Amino acid sequence: MKLTDKLIKAVDKKLERFDPMWQSEHGVGGLRSRYYDKTGVAKYREWRGVKDTFYDYSQWLKNLMSMGMMVGSAPLACLKGFWEYRWMGSYLGTFMFIDRLFEGYRGYELRIAHMNMHAIVQSLTKKIALVLANDRRFGGGPLTDRMVPMDEVLPPLFMAGFKDLIPVPLQTLPEFIICDIDQHIEPYYIDVAESYGLPADVCSRCAAETGVTIDDAFPIFGKGFLSTNMPCNASEATSMFQRRRVNLPYQPVTMAMIHNEPGAHPYSTQELKNAIAFIEKEYGVKYDWEALFERAKHMNEQNTIELEKWDYFKTPYSALVGIAETLYRLYSWASVNGQEDYFTKTDRKVIAIMRKAYEEKYQPFSGKTRHRAFLWGPSAVYYTDFPTWIQNCWGINIVLNMDSTMGHNMISTTDPEQAIKDLALFSEKGVMRHHAVGGWDNVNAVWEWAKNFNCDMVLCNDNVACKGMNGVHALLEEQARDLGFHFIFIEHDLEDSRTVSRQDMRKCVNNYMSVVLNEQPLDPTIVEFDDSEAY
Amino acid sequence: MKKVFKFLLKFLGKLALVGLIGFAVTFVIYMANAENKLIYYVVRPLLNKHYDAQVRDRRI
Repeated sequence: MKLTDKLIKAVDKKLERFDPMWQSEHGVGGLRSRYYDKTGVAKYREWRGVKDTFYDYSQWLKNLMSMGMMVGSAPLACLKGFWEYRWMGSYLGTFMFIDRLFEGYRGYELRIAHMNMHAIVQSLTKKIALVLANDRRFGGGPLTDRMVPMDEVLPPLFMAGFKDLIPVPLQTLPEFIICDIDQHIEPYYIDVAESYGLPADVCSRCAAETGVTIDDAFPIFGKGFLSTNMPCNASEATSMFQRRRVNLPYQPVTMAMIHNEPGAHPYSTQELKNAIAFIEKEYGVKYDWEALFERAKHMNEQNTIELEKWDYFKTPYSALVGIAETLYRLYSWASVNGQEDYFTKTDRKVIAIMRKAYEEKYQPFSGKTRHRAFLWGPSAVYYTDFPTWIQNCWGINIVLNMDSTMGHNMISTTDPEQAIKDLALFSEKGVMRHHAVGGWDNVNAVWEWAKNFNCDMVLCNDNVACKGMNGVHALLEEQARDLGFHFIFIEHDLEDSRTVSRQDMRKCVNNYMSVVLNEQPLDPTIVEFDDSEAY
Repeated sequence: MKKVFKFLLKFLGKLALVGLIGFAVTFVIYMANAENKLIYYVVRPLLNKHYDAQVRDRRI
């Protein structure tokens, strides 16, 4: 053993009593011990041993630098953004968000988690600077007319054929990502929508998007808007509000909902062709198939790596776990969609670590996992840092989330006609279409996914305001009993933490684990706690 | 040559000192969770006060 290793071991031994994992194992505290009550503010950062603490510190610095670069690249625009948009203030909670997502992470799982998270941070900070520097509300910028606002649930890869244009998912910055970082931001926008007269029982995501619209909190840029028919009636309504308020020429890209039927694909293909024609007309540019093929190669490589990751997920030796997997896949697929080289590079590094960890038979979380779960969960999963909590508290490893199974078919990189067909199939398997409104077969596929990934448990997030999914509650309960899965319905109100709080969500799991399975928590300090004032 | 070497040594020494101080300051901020405390207890309440005072034209 090298001298430095000996020294590190000695320091680790000396300071182990500060490690919350050690504390919970020895009954003298745990992950919640270092927090001020309710706020989610930690008195000090998690001690993870010398190596992991310094790694975490280095990644904190790296993320800090990305944020510094964002402000440095567009200082005035960023200041105006903080002053004008309430959601910009919420981004200040990013460090707290990252800290709570990776609580209890050590070794390989911590390294991969930070690699994935930094990919998101560096991408988001660049996007924020770009959008604010070209926002017409602040006078516009040199790229304002080259940017294309589009609905965030429409995969933007097909837009890569317009090499001089920049597609920007409109709702991602002011609504979607930020609801994960700060649980208090969306209730404000929901109230704006409801005070305007919107019924209070619609999906809170759609209500929040409508509130952002009415509050004039969407940055304005571009010459034409691509909206879509996603993913439910409430969402279609909010698209209408957005179109009116954004007030740009628009093209609704109404992809097939029930997409398992063969007749759906030619229809979706034509919709994409119409969208391309609309952009050509509004922006006066020509579609370049070679440019599309270049980015499609990246998406294909990312999907190839993703499929290899799935093989590791099926084993107990996957170093990519929980929130690090699900949040990254959601962002890299839905928002980046093959358009940023950084994500391909990150995937290459991550898969190399996963291969190494598998060869070493490395088990994440020191092998404390008791159950393997397939998760059917949307945003409420992220702002509650749910996968992290459920692993640390009850030893339930979220192997895969439904969001991660989105379009993984390969796109042709030689034939335009085949490529557009592939893109149609790919887009039909987008966020919420694939596992929610894409037809019963796709919802019911949850059992097949769980079986394939060797899960003994299925967790289904039950959005109390989702009219579509409310109807399948009893059917899924029956299926779970027939097939012998441990099954937990976790009630939530998506982005409105006032209706169903984080603790209420955790309680659903606590009840099942303690009453039905009669198990003891790994860390008693996080079974029941109040984090209602936390971001 | 000697002068260049001396200058280089001095420069590297200063660089190391700046690096050490930089590391010490940032590591203390990191471990004490100081930036999050500042944001939560000072910056966000001020920003929220400003946001709450904004007048928005919400007519459609």
